[in-house]
Amino acid sequence: MITIGLLHTTIRGDEKLIIEAAKKRNIKIKLIDVREEILNRKTYQCDFEVALERCVSTVKGNHATRFFESIGVKVINNSSVSAICEDKFVTSLILQKTHVPTPDFAMVFNADQAQQAIKQLGGFPVVIKPPFGSWGRLLAKVNDIDALETILEHKDVLGSPHQKSFYLQKYIKKPGRDIRSFVINGVTICAIYRDSPHWITNTARGGVATNCPVTKELSNISKKASDAVGGGILSMDVFETADGLQINEINHTTEFKNSEKPTGVSISGAIVDCCIKVAKNL
Amino acid sequence: MLKTNCPICDVQVTLSKNTEESEIISCPDCHTRLVVANLKGNTAILEEAPKVEEDWGE
Repeated sequence: MITIGLLHTTIRGDEKLIIEAAKKRNIKIKLIDVREEILNRKTYQCDFEVALERCVSTVKGNHATRFFESIGVKVINNSSVSAICEDKFVTSLILQKTHVPTPDFAMVFNADQAQQAIKQLGGFPVVIKPPFGSWGRLLAKVNDIDALETILEHKDVLGSPHQKSFYLQKYIKKPGRDIRSFVINGVTICAIYRDSPHWITNTARGGVATNCPVTKELSNISKKASDAVGGGILSMDVFETADGLQINEINHTTEFKNSEKPTGVSISGAIVDCCIKVAKNL
Repeated sequence: MLKTNCPICDVQVTLSKNTEESEIISCPDCHTRLVVANLKGNTAILEEAPKVEEDWGE
């Protein structure tokens, strides 16, 4: 019988759906709260070959992934994919390098460079994001030089080292929504629109999920982006622009509990099936 | 079904039989986000869920 190690911190509705999907398939899930583990290679007793990394804490999830990989466990998503997707700047670099349409961006470390970079990006407004982070936290749409100076000074004085790296992205005017596609090893299994009158459309910030048809264009760009970062279980945040679709960000421990109902697709089931396939191919 | 109490408002909280340790739930009365801190046999201990940290997310 296949056992999947589910690496977690808190258990959200998403993990509950995964546990249920595994039960339906008669697959054993071993819950591993990584906060309670001693990750010591010399002493760790491991009784599973495949692990699904679902930690809400990116830092703990990364350490756990690297640990389990080091003792021969196949972790989904692997540490290479996570290292790219956890960092918005690295994701953008890879997407641009592999010719996947994505908004223009730049990284700077001080206010003077920021002003020059914004000219290169076509002027205000721009979006400033922490390279690390999620759920739309600390995103700023910067409309003018006064706001830019204020935000950068606050980050410089109050922020952690990560907050002092200024990731700037060209602001994309959206039609009141963006798209999230759910992609497993390059195949888009479903997608949602995230509608919101606010420019931040995350469902964690009140964006409303409705079904989005998986068009050929969406499927193609999602596959390209998935291939660019190394595949696995991913979700893509996609902008609709006058020039076609663009990939904004890629999530490597995607949340999906609000997306199964509108799409009618068992994303949790597809995740478990992916783990089973990996386990059978070991 | 397992019954325990909210650590914030003390109202009785009923947990379903498939509840997991570390699961996040909401108190039905005061709506505080709670975590199932300990689950052994017929005993469940709830605590206030940890606040969102900088590295949390997808």
